[in-house]
Amino acid sequence: MTASDAILNVSDLNVAYGESKVLFGVGLRVAPSAIVACVGRNGAGKTTLLKSIAGFVKPRSGTVSFGGTDLVGRASYDIAKLGVKYVPQDKKVFSDLTVRENLELGSYSTQDYDWERVYGYFPKLRQLLDRKAGYLSGGERQMLMIGRAILGRPQVLLVDEPTEGLAPSIVTHLKDVFRDLSSSTALVIVEQNLPLVCAISSKVYALKEGHIVAELSRGESITVDACERYL
Amino acid sequence: MDPQLLPSGVIFGLSIGSIYFTMAIGLSLCFGLMRIISLDQLLYYSLGGYITYSFGVVTGSVWLGMVGGTMVAAVVALAVERLVFRRIYEREITFSMITSFGVLIGGIGVIQFFWGVVPRPVAVPMMTQLNVLGTEVPVYRLVVIGVAALVYAGIWVFLNRTITGKAIRAGIENVEHVEGLGINVSRLFTLTFVIAGALSGLAGGLHAPLIMVYPQMGLEVLAFVFMVVIIGGLGSIKGTLVSALIVGQVVSLGSLVYAPLAQMAPFAAMLLILLVRPTGLFGSALLKR
Repeated sequence: MTASDAILNVSDLNVAYGESKVLFGVGLRVAPSAIVACVGRNGAGKTTLLKSIAGFVKPRSGTVSFGGTDLVGRASYDIAKLGVKYVPQDKKVFSDLTVRENLELGSYSTQDYDWERVYGYFPKLRQLLDRKAGYLSGGERQMLMIGRAILGRPQVLLVDEPTEGLAPSIVTHLKDVFRDLSSSTALVIVEQNLPLVCAISSKVYALKEGHIVAELSRGESITVDACERYL
Repeated sequence: MDPQLLPSGVIFGLSIGSIYFTMAIGLSLCFGLMRIISLDQLLYYSLGGYITYSFGVVTGSVWLGMVGGTMVAAVVALAVERLVFRRIYEREITFSMITSFGVLIGGIGVIQFFWGVVPRPVAVPMMTQLNVLGTEVPVYRLVVIGVAALVYAGIWVFLNRTITGKAIRAGIENVEHVEGLGINVSRLFTLTFVIAGALSGLAGGLHAPLIMVYPQMGLEVLAFVFMVVIIGGLGSIKGTLVSALIVGQVVSLGSLVYAPLAQMAPFAAMLLILLVRPTGLFGSALLKR
């Protein structure tokens, strides 16, 4: 894949928190409708990479290009409006708001009120509309966060550790959702669950201490063993 | 305490509590969403009082003055937010406290420049008295209570029934996640700050006929308003209302029992409440920077 084929193109990205450098010349390419996974140990810089793309962390240098538009220096809300949405790892929904209000906020910025599409992926949300989000289980919160993010049909969805702490049945459900979603949205997923990564990803980047140490593509061998080698 | 004074004491307390509430709600929202301590709200309160005074003198209508005071306070708040606060939102909370105190002191200087240092009386816009349980009560104090009730209802509807209000409530929980949904949080900050400034101006306008306006009038209510915010729980609207009513009653009824209690009793009440509930009556332990 060339840079011009990619919907998201990150190159030579350097990020630091104060004096502490976290990412060193990181580059990745994401094709439209692809699922790209980033794997690595805790502290490898995976979350920082997603946050830098989404505009929450300002890179020292490097470029993040989305469909030809440079994202570096743009506000995070602006990047989200352009079509690159970030689903954080913490599963913190707006707990004082109902599920309906959480979804409304997703629709507010995107003017997309096609909630049926969200219910199509997560039917359970329809039953929970009037429940305060603070009372949802971990799995329901993750559904709500992803549901909220896919309103407006983003072109790229950045998902941080989506299956962490979730029951196996929900992980299986999310796997199907990600596969389905990828027909219209490119996904960049940071994930520790290597079997899931291997099942759905078309490309895997392994990060170690802020460096990309491996790039595995489907057709070569995206296997759990191959991924583990770089962790 | 003379039981005959009780009805008027309660209504006096409700009206004082209403003024504290109208002012404190803005402070509470500013802390909840932006995590700033906006002492400059006391300046908008003073401005509201002074504009009410000046409009009253020029047009003869104190009511018009209150509307003017609210609007001028909102415009000044907008300017201060754009010129000052926008640059310091990311800083430590103490930085906002010191900066806003500087704005307040500078603003008091401007008030002294235009209006002088002599206290000015503001006419009470309605002199009618109403008999409540055998005691004559000024109707104006009931109007103040009614205005505060409308403010509470308006803020409640805004926060719970409008999408911008819901975004503000969401921002109180997590600003970064709101921004991640594509919502311009900076605009929410500006709107919240202007609403707070306008309400402080309205509080100053409502209070002006009950006291004389003077340059340090904001500093005079500082302790009480902060007490209301702290007792109610930082960022809680319901807590601010309940706490304002408590503080108003403690001030009013305390003074009926023994005059110095009006100043002391609210502090004692605050200490007692914080001993039992360190986060305030309706505060969330999760609310931290």
